[in-house]
Amino acid sequence: MDRRPEFVTDPVTPPTEREPVSRRRFLSLVGASAALAATAACVPADSDTIVAYTKKPDDVVPGVANYYASTYQEGLEAYGVLVKAREGRPIHIDGNDEHPVYRGKTSLRAQAETIGLYDPERLRAPRVAGKASSWKAADARVVPALKAAAAGGKPVLLLTAAAISPSRRAVIADLKRAVPGLQHVAWEPAVSASERTARQALYGDAAAPRAYVDRATVILAFDADFMGGMEGAVPAIAGFAEHRQPTRPGQPMSRLYALESRLSLTGSKADTRVPLRPSAAAPVAFALANALHARHAVPLPAGLDASVLAPFTLSGVARQYALDGAVLSALADDLAGAARSALVLAGPSLPVEAHAAAALLNTMLDAEGHTLDAAYAADAAPLTTPAEMAAITRDLGAGKYAAAIFWEANPSYAVADGAGFGAAMAHAPLTVRMGLHDDETASRCDVVLPVNHWLESWNDFEPSADLLAVQQPLIRPLYDTRQGEEILLGWARALGAPVEADYRTYLMARWQREVYPKGAPVTFDRYWTAAVHDGALRRDAKPRAARVLRGDAVAAAARTAAAAKPGAGLELLLAPDVRLWDGRYGNNGWLQELPEPVTKVCWGNNLAMSSADAAALGVTDGDLVSVSAGGREVKLPVLVQPGQAPGAVFAALGFGRVGGVSGGRGANTFALAADDGSAPFHRAEVKVRRAGGREPLVRTQTEFGLHGRELTALWTLEEYGKKAGPPAGSKPLPTLNDPLEWPDHKWAMTIDLSTCVGCGGCEIACQSENNVPVVGPEQVGRGRTMHWIRGDVYYVGDGENPRVAHQPMLCQQCDDAPCEPVCPVAATQHSADGLNEQIYNRCIGVRYCAANCPYMVRRFNFFDYTSTITDPLDLAFNPEVTVRPRGVMEKCTFCVQRIRNGVQIAKDEGRALRDGEIQPACAAACPANAIVFGDITDRTSRVARAAQSDRGFKVLEDLGVRPAITYLAELRNPAAPKTGGIHD
Amino acid sequence: MTEATLPAALRVEPLVQGDVTLAGLDDHIRGWTERKPPRAWYVAITITSLTALMGFAAIGYMLYEGIGIIGNSVPVVWGFLIINFVFWVGIGHAGTLISVILYLFRQRWRNAISRIAEATTVFAFVCAMMFPAIHVGRPWFPYWLVPYPNQRGMWVDFRSPLIWDVFAVLTYFTVSLLFWYLGLVPDFATLRATAKSRTRRAVYRLLSWGWVGNARQWVHYEKGYLLLAGMTTVLALSVHSIVSMDFAVSQLPGWHMTIFPPYFVVGAAFSGFAGVVLVFAFVRTVMQLENYVTMRHMDLLNRMVLFLACVMTYAYLMEGFTAWYSADPFVKYIFANYVFGDQWWAGTLTIFLNCVLPQLLWFPKFRRSVPVMVTVSAGVTVGMWMERYTIVILSLHRGYLPSSWGMYLPTRYDFMILFGSIGLFLTLLLLFLRKLPVIAAWEVKPDIVFYQKQSAEAGHA
Repeated sequence: MDRRPEFVTDPVTPPTEREPVSRRRFLSLVGASAALAATAACVPADSDTIVAYTKKPDDVVPGVANYYASTYQEGLEAYGVLVKAREGRPIHIDGNDEHPVYRGKTSLRAQAETIGLYDPERLRAPRVAGKASSWKAADARVVPALKAAAAGGKPVLLLTAAAISPSRRAVIADLKRAVPGLQHVAWEPAVSASERTARQALYGDAAAPRAYVDRATVILAFDADFMGGMEGAVPAIAGFAEHRQPTRPGQPMSRLYALESRLSLTGSKADTRVPLRPSAAAPVAFALANALHARHAVPLPAGLDASVLAPFTLSGVARQYALDGAVLSALADDLAGAARSALVLAGPSLPVEAHAAAALLNTMLDAEGHTLDAAYAADAAPLTTPAEMAAITRDLGAGKYAAAIFWEANPSYAVADGAGFGAAMAHAPLTVRMGLHDDETASRCDVVLPVNHWLESWNDFEPSADLLAVQQPLIRPLYDTRQGEEILLGWARALGAPVEADYRTYLMARWQREVYPKGAPVTFDRYWTAAVHDGALRRDAKPRAARVLRGDAVAAAARTAAAAKPGAGLELLLAPDVRLWDGRYGNNGWLQELPEPVTKVCWGNNLAMSSADAAALGVTDGDLVSVSAGGREVKLPVLVQPGQAPGAVFAALGFGRVGGVSGGRGANTFALAADDGSAPFHRAEVKVRRAGGREPLVRTQTEFGLHGRELTALWTLEEYGKKAGPPAGSKPLPTLNDPLEWPDHKWAMTIDLSTCVGCGGCEIACQSENNVPVVGPEQVGRGRTMHWIRGDVYYVGDGENPRVAHQPMLCQQCDDAPCEPVCPVAATQHSADGLNEQIYNRCIGVRYCAANCPYMVRRFNFFDYTSTITDPLDLAFNPEVTVRPRGVMEKCTFCVQRIRNGVQIAKDEGRALRDGEIQPACAAACPANAIVFGDITDRTSRVARAAQSDRGFKVLEDLGVRPAITYLAELRNPAAPKTGGIHD
Repeated sequence: MTEATLPAALRVEPLVQGDVTLAGLDDHIRGWTERKPPRAWYVAITITSLTALMGFAAIGYMLYEGIGIIGNSVPVVWGFLIINFVFWVGIGHAGTLISVILYLFRQRWRNAISRIAEATTVFAFVCAMMFPAIHVGRPWFPYWLVPYPNQRGMWVDFRSPLIWDVFAVLTYFTVSLLFWYLGLVPDFATLRATAKSRTRRAVYRLLSWGWVGNARQWVHYEKGYLLLAGMTTVLALSVHSIVSMDFAVSQLPGWHMTIFPPYFVVGAAFSGFAGVVLVFAFVRTVMQLENYVTMRHMDLLNRMVLFLACVMTYAYLMEGFTAWYSADPFVKYIFANYVFGDQWWAGTLTIFLNCVLPQLLWFPKFRRSVPVMVTVSAGVTVGMWMERYTIVILSLHRGYLPSSWGMYLPTRYDFMILFGSIGLFLTLLLLFLRKLPVIAAWEVKPDIVFYQKQSAEAGHA
């Protein structure tokens, strides 16, 4: 880990006597438990005087950032994060470099959690019967009810999110001992039940295997957005990137097939993408299995007779679903060729049969245990299914429960019958909400208990059997809140259970008992401190026995698939949104404003449909349609999306949250999910009709065609050999200007479009690092987005199934920047190390620079956008970056604050700057490591070498502005279907 | 031989007509400044000043709330305010061209119309100069554009065309104002002699700088007037050339054109002449100036409009040719987009109003028809605004990267400010018509003498 304090000129300690940072951080963490909460984190929201430290905490040097490892849980995933704190307040979240799975990267949603912490709309104090109250009063209301329930043996409902924390599970078990009727239900609305059901049926165990994309050379994804909204997307992007950057023609490259209904982020990177309606996934996959068996003599698993697969032939499915049979044939050959290096993924939203077919393919190819490995999978967390939730709704409405406690999960929003659930809640004698916000569920509860944000909490997680992750608080709770576990412990104690009152003590005690290895050479304190410091603890776990696929279960699925009749109407697929996921981030402005990576729509969801279906309905972009399924109806604006499979429509989950930042943007599509035991996020037939009226889509990009302009490079692997040329800028355009010289450094960047998947993580990282404001849907609609780095998307080729070129676009830091000479007040200047600097104080806002920027990357403060940032949200600001006032221009600075900091540290330490020491926020966050930054005058630097790539090109190089960013051409490795038809 | 004996085809129409005398002219001019104006004037100024106030209210709100209340965006960072600026600078060109260049060419017909033309120049520049100041993001700092030693330790960047603009526009405004004022001096003296009220007399005395009209004063005066006219000529060509460089110096397709400086100057003169025709079409009848500003004057003005329309057409064709000949896909695209794009109506309207409609003026009958000339001139005024719309907005909204293509969505404040500036211009014009001599009497008087002599000769013959 190479993170350093920013001001080394500490008046107390001369730099030479300074201890190595890692040791200092280690020492700082020795006292982390108490000292952190007691001293460093003293930023109560109500302090209005600034008093200097009379006694400086050991680990806080004003102006120097501290970094702490922690863990963020979201559903079944536990992201290892590294949180940057300044003067005790967390301001930036990156991946934890020392985490074995995430390797310094994290999801964009985790990165956006700094403003989740400082969200002004968080609950600040307990509330009883709609009135602000105290913890004492709240406990006085809850404890007797629990006591009565315990005495009377009546059931109490405890509805939580997934409990992948062993300590949390222990707390719940302790409470259950005190309240025997406690019924714990874990509800993760975004985790599709069909995948878990399928695993249970196919392997007899729902434990989730890990997909090793880095081991795969041929990947087949059926509506599986494994680099977008699916679990494990961050390591998947990194793994995918490994096989996508040949350094010279002729080197191998992986091949990604995406057979999908919606144009997903994953599909947008596919080498061969086939629009396919979701119900066709299983037949096509079975047909591939059949072809593998018949043509390549791949044996079928025991219990599965070849005759079961007979109805599925490549030519048959090609005919039935109007597919190119040659492509399917090539796909079968590729899978057979890749054997155990193949990876077949079925999207979680797909029905059980598709999962069975994908599992069959993986097993036949022997990929099981190689690219797909369940050896160290955590025990499947008990999750309830939508059908069970429907049953619970009925029980709740029937008054079965003496009390109902809702912790984190938000059932009155995120279940299919949310309204019904909300109504049923009224029939419980006592409803308790433990959550962050006054949300759909809280507004219906008798007792509302505000819980700590995870950045204020202790916890541990067990994402896999060989890994324990630790969560530590970065700041003392901002408000009168308690950690959820502590609330439960309090009740358990009040009911006479012998448990610790404090969750940290409880956690440590449990670790000492159960985790700390007997006979370890270190004391528990050191063991614990080191675990907290690292954030993740590798454990020796026995690998599970290899999973065995039940042939009979596959056969049953195949029979179901063969018997299925295609519906006449439109088919609907739902999936958690890559930004708002299950809706829990509805109040996060950064995520609301982040455009969806492929369609570039933000601030709301929509119904994506193919142009043919839109024409049949007589609708166009932004027209409202009403979608009905299972007796419920949702109104959504239409998005006519190239690449969408005809006959299938798609909508994202997570929108339509009530109130707050979300302000009801979008529609709650959970209402369209099935809760009858079938795949919840797939509807074989929905009714879509015009609803009248319009709701214009809010998009950050409205034009997706290249108009014949050579702005990006999208080559096939074959073309690479022909087109690879001398690196960009090696033959500079003739100029009358003096040659430029760089005495110290010359900062430059390369962006490898081959590995960039366009996920948008860089945008959030930049927003967090550079205090980029959120402007809201109306302003985005007017074209006033403020993102300093944006993900440009171009649709190339076939209008119905385009290839998608992603191109992150940010200030190119041109050597001959056209913005500079046109500024009348000299507010934009060139630095001696090649940066195009923007001086906010000088800027009067004539906007000529923006008009003259060929890349249109300059952003203007049309209003006082930061004025809406109210206490305590302003605490999320990075103090190293100016907050821009109204009327000034701003743009990417290559994170100049990080550059100056890094240069200063090297200078103070009397050494040369090390390559990679300085990382702009975007590069640090990029899960694919597609962005490389450094000093190009250093010939050995990574950026200098990358810029020499034969794939290198500069955007609009002919203008002679000499941009400092070199893009590397994107390579695709599409299937080469043999002519000569299909062999079954 | 006298004119009257010449064949009709060779006869020159006189510059004044009817029963005009030297005293009659003075009385006529004085009459307007001394009398209570007709009710129509009050109605007109109420409407125009309220419109101006509406514009100022919108500007006030914009200063308070931010530039975001108007339609600007990224990529269309410049919008109505810059269009209005260029538009008003253009309108402000006729005054100088009529007064100065026609003066240098000894075109006597400009005498009767020069005063009002110069007034339009001054007022148009008052409107124009407002826009650069209010369009900046931080309108409390536009003085930073002026290079003067300051405690900020900051200097302007002379490489920026916007700095050239500051100089060009301020110089042009100063010189135009001086030129206008210099021409007014002898007429102020006339008014001073006959004003009824003491205050007015005192004001006119002050304004006329002790003018007594002796031969020595006239010799110096005419020499000075000529010299100032010579200086102003250069400015008339330079100011819009420099305004055009705001665009031409950039690298944006559609802006980066070497033809822009002459093309902008011609466009400015074109819109200026059209503006003057519009003003006179109303003023000459309302203020009963038909005997001094005759149909011959209007005919000549319309010939100028027609001539400039032809030059504009040539310029458009050259622009299109350059775009095609450049083989630059970006430039080619943007020019096609002007007439075939989403907003095809903007480019098409520009061409129709500026190139096609003025062709009516080939017919002498139409050049002397008030409805036709009003239609054509109003069309040209709108057309030239549309031309700037096309240049500013339609170039910006389709730049190099399609990913950042956008649209300009004007808000109600855009329109309030545009109409407010028109209101301001008309209010100033109405005040001028009411209180200052609308005709340069000292320049027209020789024409009257000549006309009287001619009529007398005709009577003898």
